[in-house]
Amino acid sequence: MLVKILSAAVLGLEAYQIEVEVDAAKRPPGQSIVGLPDTAVKESRDRVRAAIENSGFAFPRGYFTINLAPANIKKEGPLYDLPIAIGILSVSEQIKEMNSDNVIILGELSLDGSVRSINGVLPICLALGKKKRKVIVPKENADEAALVEKIDVIPVSSLKEATDYLAGKIEIKPHKVDLEAIFAQEPEYGIDFADVKGQGHVKRALEVAAAGGHNVLLVGPPGSGKTMLARRIPTIMPPLLHEEALEVTKLFSVTGLLNGKGSLVTTRPFRSPHHTTSDIGIIGGGRIPRPGEVSLSHLGVLFLDEFPEFDRKVLEVLRQPLEDGNVTISRAHSSLTYPAQFMLMAAMNPCPCGRLYDLKQSCTCSPLQIQRYWRKLSEPLLDRIDIQLEVPRLKSDELSKMPVGESSKEIKKRVIKARNIQMERFKGTPIYSNARMTPRQIKKSCVLDKEAEDILKSAIVHLKLSARAYDKILKVARTIADLELSEKIRARHIAEATQYRSLDRNPSISSG
Amino acid sequence: MGLESYQLGKKGEEIAEEYLRNLGYEILEKNYHSSQGEVDLIAKDQDCLVFVEVKSYSYRSFGSPAGAVGITKKKSIIHAAEAYLYKNNIKDVYSRFDLITIYKKYNGQQIIEHFKDAFYVN
Repeated sequence: MLVKILSAAVLGLEAYQIEVEVDAAKRPPGQSIVGLPDTAVKESRDRVRAAIENSGFAFPRGYFTINLAPANIKKEGPLYDLPIAIGILSVSEQIKEMNSDNVIILGELSLDGSVRSINGVLPICLALGKKKRKVIVPKENADEAALVEKIDVIPVSSLKEATDYLAGKIEIKPHKVDLEAIFAQEPEYGIDFADVKGQGHVKRALEVAAAGGHNVLLVGPPGSGKTMLARRIPTIMPPLLHEEALEVTKLFSVTGLLNGKGSLVTTRPFRSPHHTTSDIGIIGGGRIPRPGEVSLSHLGVLFLDEFPEFDRKVLEVLRQPLEDGNVTISRAHSSLTYPAQFMLMAAMNPCPCGRLYDLKQSCTCSPLQIQRYWRKLSEPLLDRIDIQLEVPRLKSDELSKMPVGESSKEIKKRVIKARNIQMERFKGTPIYSNARMTPRQIKKSCVLDKEAEDILKSAIVHLKLSARAYDKILKVARTIADLELSEKIRARHIAEATQYRSLDRNPSISSG
Repeated sequence: MGLESYQLGKKGEEIAEEYLRNLGYEILEKNYHSSQGEVDLIAKDQDCLVFVEVKSYSYRSFGSPAGAVGITKKKSIIHAAEAYLYKNNIKDVYSRFDLITIYKKYNGQQIIEHFKDAFYVN
């Protein structure tokens, strides 16, 4: 006797339909699960048995062969517990008259028969959603699934509930959410740029960074507010578009970060991994492939504090996502690509003890120590950073005198305007921000007036700037001009952009 | 919990046999051997064939009954069971593997425990 139940598998951010075939034979009792199951799937056997018995059913006699088809896709995770249990009950006719055509079933089972939430429900519903198709999901995943309008989401909290529903004994109305309201909601960050006192110079630079998508390096002593400021950058970035919000939500769904927190993610992510994070943690992968920090900060901010403390190897793997905006993880059988378009914010002390610029306390580092410290930053990586900034520590009496700064809402308005200009400028091209301009695009879009050209030439000579630095100054100046809604780049825009090359201006500190 | 009886000198398999008969099982084979295995008892419980392993203990062991049947023993019983089915051309019949433990106390008192579905083919 054979029964087929529909389910799904997630690979990366894509999902595929899986058929759970359950065959029962009157042979010496046992069970085998085939179809490239991973350990969690193989363990389902014990969970399913206990869940079935604790739901008031008898575990049926005979030998069960469970095939998760197609057999050449790896099956990962405990989401097959529920479809397997239902398959076993159906094939032993403990659920009669079950209508499971066109019903996708997903869920992990607890030993007591309750259904637990799983990862990846959103990508599954997006990929498999057909009009009027029913998808049985764990209750905690219902909001997420309901983001896909065309399907009927049937939330269940126990095996018994699922079987009663399939047998027609109870009715469960499809779970709906107010999509319009969800997509219209303003992102709630709970923090604001106004929380940070003073540091007007830094805030201005971050506004420029957010407006043009420029990566930033903040250099300052401990306690100067680098982390606080970095954390607030998402609050001045434009709100996510529908598709962007869905993409971020998919990433969170697949990593299990959504659980219990409602459906759509509307806030731009902020990730701040510790400097001991491995390269796999940063880039993604692992035995069971998972998005890394670069993907979890997709469309948001990746904050690397104590930048020189990161393993060299880890910093090297950042180059692909910074270049391509995605990350490809190769395996023997397949390769997975996760999106990774993030804004990089690196922060560090000016020297190992942190007091290099401190006016009150003196630095205890030797010149050699300082040189070594800075040498850890590789040229190619610094190359990706358009804005370099010193963040001074404010004295306590200064702090109390500071007026409250601008709110994120105000700053965001300007950022959005600048972003809109960029969207128009780059229409029809694959890029979307000034930071990503190619040399040709720079030539085309960065037209300088005479005064601006003179200042730039002067800066190059006096500060001994390289060709790379030249391009960067132009890109940043372009953003500064956009913020002012100015089509031409003026001298003052160049002047400000040049200020953000602090490393180039302090050859005694930088590696060379 | 178990059936207590005072039966001195009887072998474990005989005690188990009597116990199953009392439950209404039909005894089909005793000490069945195949080329690579053996099973203590083969019985019929209504529509289900039962392959029974009998273990006698002189001490009380608390623990999972499945653990009492080691891998080698399991393989042996399963081999014998499948040989039995093959040789008798038995297909399409439910079967299971049971374990009967007999605990012989020092005073001759015996406690019988019957574990149904003690283990599986895999």
